Amino acid sequence: MAETSLWNGSDKYLCDRELAQAFHMARVLGMPLLIEGEPGTGKTELPLQYAKDSDIDLFVYPVGSKSTVDQFVARFDHVKYLRDSQVEVLNAQRDEKGLSTKLSTGGRSTDQLKDYVMQGPAAKAYSTPNSVLLIDEIDKAPREFPNDLLYALSHRKFVMPESGDVIEVSEEDMPAIVITSNREQELPTAFKGRCIYHYISFPPPETMRDIVRKHYPKADDDIVQQAIDVFYQLRQLGLERSPSTRELLNWLKYMQTFSKEETIERIKKLDGLGALIKTQDDVRRVQRNLMDDIKKPGGASRY
Amino acid sequence: MFESFPEVCRSYGVKADVRSLLLLQKAIDRNLIHTVGDIYSFFKGSLVKDPTDIGPYTQAFYEYFVGVDVGAGERLNDAIARADTFKDWLEDFVQADDRRRDMELDDLINQFLDEVHTTTYDIKRVLDGEDILKEDDPDMKDDDGGNRADGANAERLLEKAADYRFVDLEELRKRMEKVMEQQTRDHQGGSHWVGTGGVSPYGNGGAAMGGIRVGGTGGGRMAREVMGDPQYYPVDIDAQINDDNIDATLATLKGVIEETNQRYLDIPLTVKEGVAQGGLFLPVELDKTEDKLQVILLIDNGGYSMDYYIRAVQALFKKMKTRYQHDLETYYFHNTIYKYVYEDERRTRKVPIERILSKDPNYRIFVIGDAAMAPYELHEGSIIAWGRISEKFKKSVWLNPVSEKHWHITWTTTMLRKIFKMYTMTPRGIEQAILGMNRKKR
Repeated sequence: MAETSLWNGSDKYLCDRELAQAFHMARVLGMPLLIEGEPGTGKTELPLQYAKDSDIDLFVYPVGSKSTVDQFVARFDHVKYLRDSQVEVLNAQRDEKGLSTKLSTGGRSTDQLKDYVMQGPAAKAYSTPNSVLLIDEIDKAPREFPNDLLYALSHRKFVMPESGDVIEVSEEDMPAIVITSNREQELPTAFKGRCIYHYISFPPPETMRDIVRKHYPKADDDIVQQAIDVFYQLRQLGLERSPSTRELLNWLKYMQTFSKEETIERIKKLDGLGALIKTQDDVRRVQRNLMDDIKKPGGASRY
Repeated sequence: MFESFPEVCRSYGVKADVRSLLLLQKAIDRNLIHTVGDIYSFFKGSLVKDPTDIGPYTQAFYEYFVGVDVGAGERLNDAIARADTFKDWLEDFVQADDRRRDMELDDLINQFLDEVHTTTYDIKRVLDGEDILKEDDPDMKDDDGGNRADGANAERLLEKAADYRFVDLEELRKRMEKVMEQQTRDHQGGSHWVGTGGVSPYGNGGAAMGGIRVGGTGGGRMAREVMGDPQYYPVDIDAQINDDNIDATLATLKGVIEETNQRYLDIPLTVKEGVAQGGLFLPVELDKTEDKLQVILLIDNGGYSMDYYIRAVQALFKKMKTRYQHDLETYYFHNTIYKYVYEDERRTRKVPIERILSKDPNYRIFVIGDAAMAPYELHEGSIIAWGRISEKFKKSVWLNPVSEKHWHITWTTTMLRKIFKMYTMTPRGIEQAILGMNRKKR
């Protein structure tokens, strides 16, 4: 039986109740969990931390604009196969001529079709009972990919190309499948229909404090508070690219090198803004809008 | 059970059907559902497919399960405050302890929501722990299930509990009763372990035994925050494109980018290399890259009504250009075209339409205009010019900011619709335009 207890996050990962429930539900029902939300809300971290915390094998498939289901499941490397068969011919010719040097096929044999099957993360996850399979940033995929994927996932069985080997997994041993999306492209309705859906909203300041605490348990409360105030103020500006959790954490990491008073002073001056703001336009906008405000104590407000 | 719930959902625009109920059945069998809050979370996970569904879904849920009818734009708080279920509950709640009269309305509503969301149909949970210990057999094993929780016993417990607190939530209770019958019949194991989940006399947390105590205190409040939060209300994709829904439009526009992900065997290169290697043909494979996108915008900036849309359209395509690199050319015309279009908005620099016609036929043409003009303006010459464009560029569409219901009134619109596929200039219209384009082979 696959691991289906409720997972509430670990000491490194704050998993809110709703997300924990959705994840649990997905695992119990054996359906993929589709997580959407702004960047920096910890979508990808969930399966990573879950796998680490529960000591489970993790398989990751980062989706790109050139992703295919072949790469995800398995593909037969025809080119290598053709090359090796050519090499065999060549080696035979060399033999005839009495030459001893031979071209290598890298241990592969053209008789063994399975030597040329390149298994993708899905095939690997399905052959490892009770594992975690992460399909990251599916919105980057070409349009037909989600539907192809749907077909692959709805059967608990993969047939390897050419070799005909079958990889099958029982419903109990289904890997926990987590799919993340930044909503850069709408996913097909049928695809969403087969998933448990969860949308992570951007955490409120209180939760953000807990998140920071998980990463920097030793950080000073005042510094964290001050930084979070500034951070949410920046997010309010409607920047082209709002800073996310990741940026806040990096900023704090940089700030940790100074003493407490100096740090607060530096936060007020927006020192190291480059860690938070990533485009030139945004930097200008921040300088116009915020530089004066932030110096005033208590000028920060909730997002 | 809950047969009419999908219908209620659909009336709020949330897609639900009989499969949702089958999945619920599965979830019940797998011991996932114990409280009303669980049902809320379960349907949220399985029906909500977009953050903008959360609002309508929550409305549907509260209408169906709690009898709270949330009006458009109303906060859940206010809707609850005027709901009969809440008033009845409040009466009892206050009667039980007089001091509660002084509680703030907000706190009362919180209390109400907490209770609703933690309402279990396995009523043992609301009895106190001692009762459970007395009535329950501590030696019972997980795998032999709750055999003793037979129908009659469960019935009795339900009654007891109903007396205890839930007699007012008549509607809710009736529904819960149905679930309960289902549960005791189909899944004996559930009642025992679920029942002990909350108060846990054996030290087995509900969660550990597969009982996720969903809902709980968090559920109701979360639901309450959702209502009235504009973030969770849908962008109207039937509205003309504007600053609010421009991102939604952008998402649909992404569909015009053709990306392929195939590799292909480069035969000439393979042969060439093969010859160089003395007849040993090692295949050469290359990535097929065809993600280039070519777009020509033809914008009517003559009409007084067009100004607003021009800005929106330009913003849209500009955003698109920065996000996905492609060739974008924009030309302007006044009402219709004859021999020339213009490169600049003030229409001073002429460009003969031959120059457009000499482009790669894979260009996608978006004509943006209201197609309304005096009939004499759209004379034969103009119609021929449009015809040549639509003939040459198979992937050409006309986006019209005027609402579709007015199209048939204008003669020129009717004429142009014979030449171009016409769509409304809304996110939905653009999406359909692109789907239509993509279906055409070049």
